[in-house]
Amino acid sequence: MNCKFARTLLPAFLIFCAVSHTARSDWTVATATALSHDDNVGNALSYTNKVSDYSASATVSMLQLIPFGEGYSLAAGGDLSGQVYDHLSGLRNASIDGLLSLKKKWGVGAFATWTRAGISVGRTDYQQGYRDATIYRASLELGKRLDERWNLWAKYAFERRAATSSGDEIYGLSSDAFSQKGRSFAVNARYSLSQRFSISLGALLRHGDVVSTTPPAGYIFADSKAVAPDPAFGPDAYAYRLDGTTYSGRLVAEYSLTTHSLIGCGFQRSETHARGGNNYSDSLPQLTWNYQF
Amino acid sequence: MAKQFIGTVGLMLLGTALAQSAEMRVLVKDYKGKLVADAVVLAVPVDPRSALHAHPPTDAMDQVDKQFVPYVKPIYVGSTVRFPNSDNIRHQVYSFSPAKKFELPLYAGTGAPPVVFDKPGVVVLGCNIHDWMIGYIYVSETPFFTKTGPLGTAVITDMPAGEYIVRLWHPSMDHTEETTNRRVTLSADSPASAEWQIGLKPSIRVPRVSGAASPSYP
Repeated sequence: MNCKFARTLLPAFLIFCAVSHTARSDWTVATATALSHDDNVGNALSYTNKVSDYSASATVSMLQLIPFGEGYSLAAGGDLSGQVYDHLSGLRNASIDGLLSLKKKWGVGAFATWTRAGISVGRTDYQQGYRDATIYRASLELGKRLDERWNLWAKYAFERRAATSSGDEIYGLSSDAFSQKGRSFAVNARYSLSQRFSISLGALLRHGDVVSTTPPAGYIFADSKAVAPDPAFGPDAYAYRLDGTTYSGRLVAEYSLTTHSLIGCGFQRSETHARGGNNYSDSLPQLTWNYQF
Repeated sequence: MAKQFIGTVGLMLLGTALAQSAEMRVLVKDYKGKLVADAVVLAVPVDPRSALHAHPPTDAMDQVDKQFVPYVKPIYVGSTVRFPNSDNIRHQVYSFSPAKKFELPLYAGTGAPPVVFDKPGVVVLGCNIHDWMIGYIYVSETPFFTKTGPLGTAVITDMPAGEYIVRLWHPSMDHTEETTNRRVTLSADSPASAEWQIGLKPSIRVPRVSGAASPSYP
């Protein structure tokens, strides 16, 4: 993490913690850590250009819940997270997010249908600063717990990443390769096999900008909206931004160690079909540990 | 609380009955031999006159660390129960159970109005803000009741000597209360002891922690 990032975000996080402590209200403090292996970090097209790597990430979340009757509740808070890669050191990053959401429970009890609208603004800084971005998200969620075992929910989200472009055109294309827009729709189901053990299945459809990093290739230039050097992947690597649709599936098994903590093991497979027949695939096995205070 | 209540009941009984007060000790295990806590033990006098003159007391079901405390509370029918909130946040307690349907508005501290439980049966409690919170109030038709502790044991004291039908209830019991019925004769000179083995079904509760793939609380 660079010094500028640390100087800016650390005091903000400490102030956030102090306010939460003095407020003495319904704060949810949670941590999430994950170990992952991504077999195609850069969304490379061909097998020979794929770069795989291990990463570790940690997130601390603090959300204040403000219920105000008639099933409405407001949640406000933030996340502070970091991610390190085993080999791709330029992709090491740290993020801070501010979140605000309004939830409506359409009834009383654990099995009532609920909806939630949320917005968030975040900043991610990378070890190599050309990927730094401000991220805006908006989402709508719908969920229902059918019984003690089955929990279903769906989420529609819009995301915009605003990165800083170098301004120079490359091969006649914009160099703003890391700014992205996308919309996604996800459906999820969780089934509790026992009090401690659960299985979750999820499917996601996303349409929008996709960034792929490969050596310079003319056939990708033709379909790209922007291109920029991507030295995190090597001196000859370029990142291309294209339109694409991603289909993703995820299976997660989780075990509750205590009433406050969960360990999990998951696998996510994504297939992206980008403009010009540029198709990418990606597999992401993951080990997770969640703790909620 | 149950002991205090039994004491109150005892004071209200006739002097002759007090002179003949009896005691019953209970041990509850599951079919694997594991000791069972939070099993409600009820002793119904065969002669209903033995349970007359009991005045229902006031009781309390607390909320601590976003959980109901205790998890199971037996009370006598007609009792008034307060729901103090020891958390520094607001809760919204409700029940959909036929024995008592109610909903307390969002509240903090001790501001919630007390609830009268005037019908025997099981009342399942929840909190509309914290979905994992669950608690049970067992509304007993007899003043002679208690619940087992962590060692699976319980004692009912100050019962008039005589014949009783004793039965059990537990939130996870996989058979009806009636299948646990046992006829017991209590005498004043020696305490009675009884042991039950009950079947418990796996307990599935709404999880407190949101996993990596779950919609995060709140």
